[in-house]
Amino acid sequence: MKKTFIYVFLSLVVIIILVLVVKDFSSNRPGRMSGNPYKLDVDEIMAVDPELISYRETRNYDIDADKLGGIALSGENICIGADDYLQMIDPEGKQIMKIKLPHSPECLTVSEQGNILVGFRNGLALYSPEGEEIWKTDTMGERAVFTAVRMTSSVIYVADAGQRAVHRYGPDGSYIDSFEGKTQIEGNYGFIVPSPYFDLAIAPDGELWVANPGKHSIENYTGEGKLRAYWENMNPTIDGFSGCCNPAHIDIMTDGSFVTSEKGVVRIKIHKPSGELATVVAAPDKFLVDGEAPDVAVHEDGTVYALDYDRKTIRIFEPK
Amino acid sequence: MESKAHNRRDFIRRSVRVSLGLTVGGVGALALKNGTTDEWVWQIDPFECNQCGRCATECVRNISAVKCVHAYDLCGYCDLCGGYLKPGAPRIDTGAEHQLCPTAAIKRKYIEEPFFEYVIEEDLCIGCAKCVKGCTSFGNGSLHLQIRHDLCRNCNQCAIARVCPSKAIIRVPNTEPYLIKGSFTKSDKT
Ligand code: SF4
Ligand code: SF4
Ligand code: SF4
Repeated sequence: MKKTFIYVFLSLVVIIILVLVVKDFSSNRPGRMSGNPYKLDVDEIMAVDPELISYRETRNYDIDADKLGGIALSGENICIGADDYLQMIDPEGKQIMKIKLPHSPECLTVSEQGNILVGFRNGLALYSPEGEEIWKTDTMGERAVFTAVRMTSSVIYVADAGQRAVHRYGPDGSYIDSFEGKTQIEGNYGFIVPSPYFDLAIAPDGELWVANPGKHSIENYTGEGKLRAYWENMNPTIDGFSGCCNPAHIDIMTDGSFVTSEKGVVRIKIHKPSGELATVVAAPDKFLVDGEAPDVAVHEDGTVYALDYDRKTIRIFEPK
Repeated sequence: MESKAHNRRDFIRRSVRVSLGLTVGGVGALALKNGTTDEWVWQIDPFECNQCGRCATECVRNISAVKCVHAYDLCGYCDLCGGYLKPGAPRIDTGAEHQLCPTAAIKRKYIEEPFFEYVIEEDLCIGCAKCVKGCTSFGNGSLHLQIRHDLCRNCNQCAIARVCPSKAIIRVPNTEPYLIKGSFTKSDKT
């Protein structure tokens, strides 16, 4: 009798202990816990109304490289910087030119004649469409971090995130001058570049537009570096620019609209020349969470080419 | 028969005492060993952390041993700091209702127009990662979490590591006990 009682008692104790242990283990498993009381919910900002998205991804080309450095269009072909190489890819994704560069390319652009201007960390070099070097500049110094280059027939503009300035060079690569976007307007401190994202673009009418990321603005400058016009929209909602420093990359369409690419909550959009949101090219769900902002280049037919640094891919978005 | 039963009980009692003594002694020795000669300590890989918030609630210490640290060399010193302000907060309004940190552990210091420095008051920080999420989503990712070894008990099995959904808490050698962003990069992880 006594023995039976001890066995029953011990069995009960063992069962209770087992239940407690199993409960403790299962309730603490990741994904089974009660909600996070400190969650910062960015899902609302990441979500985009599908009605606003008027582009779809039609093609993409993987790039075999560790580091990508900028995208530009040369007619129907695509130029990219990848590792220490300049590559040209035809519309079917076939590599048609590849040349070794003296340094790692950071940014590039293509002239009307088809010459390719490559920006390195603190210098420039111009190459013919066949890949022959035409000229290269001296270095700009250790503080320079070139992030964007654009050229007209008479001037080259270089965005320097390190020195928070736009440099002007002649078409032969000779340095002219620099400007920092400063004005007498109260609250205008010139270019504010909290991270190495600082882009510029030239509109079809030849006007220079510079993305001032710390101000969430896109600013129009005269050839001499005087601020003429700007629009800004600091707002995490889809019609604005989120985060500390956006837009990270821009390009301009034939009608003067801006293609913008943002970091943090990664997304590509098109804004009308007035700054108003026109449409969404690619919503955040197309990119890695907290990924890099893709560099963008827009074709005259409206196709948007995005260089996805995280997936090492050229992604092509066409109007639906 | 009676004396045999007594002997058996004595034997069981003695055995229980001996095994209890051994267990307590063993645990004590292990604890002593952990406290004195640990070659490995727990640390958070900031590139793996997805800011789930469990570091604040799962640490065995009441007020977590996990704190936010700031890699100043990565910071943009932004006026609109994604780690300091709630998304959508007005740029100029830094009132408490617009701050992300639930314990007001982040202090904003004016440097020069338009730059501000953000300093973590560790005594107030509970390691909730809210600011880290904001900084990663909207800023440069300079704010990140680290286990402070002056506070950590270096548990045999870190209670947070057991539930961390991204397996971000790893053992590191005690000669290099911190994985501070900037000096520690993604490429260091191979
Ligand atoms: S539990 Fe893991 S993922 Fe969550 S905040 Fe801590 S380290 Fe980051
Ligand atoms: S938000 Fe959380 S992790 Fe960041 S400083 Fe405040 S308490 Fe610390
Ligand atoms: S080892 Fe222990 S004290 Fe240290 S962080 Fe993990 S649970 Fe907290």
